[in-house]
Amino acid sequence: MASERYSFSLTTFSPSGKLVQLEYALAAVAAGATSVGIVASDGVVIATENKYKSPLYEEHSVHRVEPITDHIGMVYSGLVPDYRPLLKRARKMAQQYFLVYKEPMPVSQLVQQVANVMQEYTQSGGVRPFGVSLLICGWNNGKPYLFQCDPTGAFFAWKATALGKNAQSCKTYMEKRFNLQSNNSVSQSLDDAVVDAMRTLKGGFEGVMTKDNIEVGICTEKGFRRLTPTEIDDHLSNAN
Amino acid sequence: MNMELVRNVPKGGFNFDNCKRNEMLLSSGFQHPKTVKTGTTIAGIIFKDGVILGADTRATEGPIVSDKNCSKIHYLAKNMYCCGAGTAADTEMTTDLIASQLEMHRLNTGRQVPVVAANTLLKQFLFRYQGHISAALVLGGVDKTGSYIYCIHPHGSTDKLPYATMGSGSLAAMSVFESRWKPDMTEEEGKLLVRDAIAAGVFNDLGSGSNIDLCVIRKDSVDYLRNYELANLKGKRHGDYRFKPGTTELVGKEEIIEVVPFEAFHKKLYGDETAEAMEVGA
Amino acid sequence: MSIMAYNGGCLVAMRGKNCVAIATDHRFGIQAQTISTDFEKVFQVNPRTFLGLVGLQTDILTVHDRIMFRKKLYEDRENREMTPEPFSAMISNFLYEHRFGPYFIEPVIAGLHPKTLEPFICNMDLIGCPNKPDDFVVAGTCSEQLYGMCETLWKEDLEPAELSEVISQAIVSAFDRDAISGWGATVYIIEKDKITKKQIKTRMD
Repeated sequence: MASERYSFSLTTFSPSGKLVQLEYALAAVAAGATSVGIVASDGVVIATENKYKSPLYEEHSVHRVEPITDHIGMVYSGLVPDYRPLLKRARKMAQQYFLVYKEPMPVSQLVQQVANVMQEYTQSGGVRPFGVSLLICGWNNGKPYLFQCDPTGAFFAWKATALGKNAQSCKTYMEKRFNLQSNNSVSQSLDDAVVDAMRTLKGGFEGVMTKDNIEVGICTEKGFRRLTPTEIDDHLSNAN
Repeated sequence: MNMELVRNVPKGGFNFDNCKRNEMLLSSGFQHPKTVKTGTTIAGIIFKDGVILGADTRATEGPIVSDKNCSKIHYLAKNMYCCGAGTAADTEMTTDLIASQLEMHRLNTGRQVPVVAANTLLKQFLFRYQGHISAALVLGGVDKTGSYIYCIHPHGSTDKLPYATMGSGSLAAMSVFESRWKPDMTEEEGKLLVRDAIAAGVFNDLGSGSNIDLCVIRKDSVDYLRNYELANLKGKRHGDYRFKPGTTELVGKEEIIEVVPFEAFHKKLYGDETAEAMEVGA
Repeated sequence: MSIMAYNGGCLVAMRGKNCVAIATDHRFGIQAQTISTDFEKVFQVNPRTFLGLVGLQTDILTVHDRIMFRKKLYEDRENREMTPEPFSAMISNFLYEHRFGPYFIEPVIAGLHPKTLEPFICNMDLIGCPNKPDDFVVAGTCSEQLYGMCETLWKEDLEPAELSEVISQAIVSAFDRDAISGWGATVYIIEKDKITKKQIKTRMD
């Protein structure tokens, strides 16, 4: 069949055992806008840059921080168009789970399923891997959770992490700042975590950080929501 | 790649594997078992600040009352509820499914979903099944364009009405609405009217009974008044049947199955601080 | 005759104070002919959750297998035990999947929520319409008799010992008036730290 000619997987091993397509995908992520996530004692925060290349753009029209369900939210680094289908799939998975079991989908389950989809795109024919890494945050079992999903299909649970352009420097900054190794759980409050996330973002931020060029999402016992520009402004004054 | 194998979530959609076998069994003279129906009186009206939905709480299996206090006002979205009459499983599953689709629509569009969208989803779904999904619904909701009551029939036809009734008690309820409904009623007047309409069904229709549920939906608030009125209280029983422990004769000794002590079990189920056990790795 | 009455059998579950009980008869027949008297229709699916299935025997076995398949997949996938609520929601979904070609069974679920220890009872019709009252649920060929017995005998806040007598007397009296149920019965009383299984002495005719 003619279609079979194009349906082999693009992700094939190089002689040295590398999957270069995946490395390119990770490179696309590393070139994307920075996003950070921090777990606090009473919630979890995710934050990202949302810079506009031109002042002509309408602000707050396209969001990077998005809700998946009432209690799970997500942000990404990488390519916007690749983010949207994943977001839609994630929402559908969460709804399917709820329809079957009549209880909210555990965050870890959602992450596993999203990671499964991303993994499928590393082995299927006629497709390329996703050019995004995801930070998925949520609340269940009375606890906050923060996960990262990579284009490879790998996923990780974090106390705090960063993705994208300045990921490494952000992580180094947070490691120093929180000294996480000393205590097993994060003890700071959510408000402090929001400010810390902003400070972390600020490290590699080009230009002035304002309420209009970052996005913040928080997830607590009450659920997930995106902070309004006014709320971001309040926190920004503390971060300065 | 078979994604269902990877994800292990049951595939959606109906399964028709048993149809041939069941047809064979039934053709050899067996009767098809009865399903739970909600004989039902359901109703909805538009009042000054929104809509009021009402329902009785009886579910029947033939002449037997299978649930004396079932809930027939189903959640669709924060601004919409839907009363269901007909086969109980159909109304339950249909409203759950549409609620799920509405929530996804809300997330994907980032705005409150208008009531007309719910109406369209429901009628298209029911029409697709040509009346085999026997759900007769009264949909009510408020969005930024106004307050709406829709009557949705099992075959997928719908009416947009200021007041509507459905189910076996619909005639009794409609007689109350036809004589007393007027535009721009206050909430108190409206609640009384819907209460009276449902009560007319409860006391005159055998398929409807027990209590009265109401749901008041306003522009930015909802009052789900479950068991708004306990229309039929069970009489107090003065006699008391008591059996002394040991009355029932046993065969052999009773067998005690030990269960994992609660605390250990709890830990296994919900994990302690560190044990959100799952494989994470590069 | 209804196909649900082909093999006979009945089930009942009741809520008590911090406990639940579920009872089943033992008969397996083909219409009026009794084949065996040790067919229990109640299965322990988790330490504190029981599932009873009544109806066409071939479907009892099939549905039990399929439900357990899905339940075990859930538990392996999520690495935790399934609590009664999602378990019954899953059964309801399974049955509704077969809306247009149903399995001829009616399930009854009884259990304690492992965390809150809240008693849980639920029954469904053959296409999965859930019914979760706060007193008792019944199913099977003598469900009408059982309704009558339970309405009379059941009271709020029964202690495990009392509940055991109430459910035993209810099922025995009910199936004594049903030719295709009976031939012995088993009662399970589920409490937070133990489950008591009792075989009741009944008429064997």
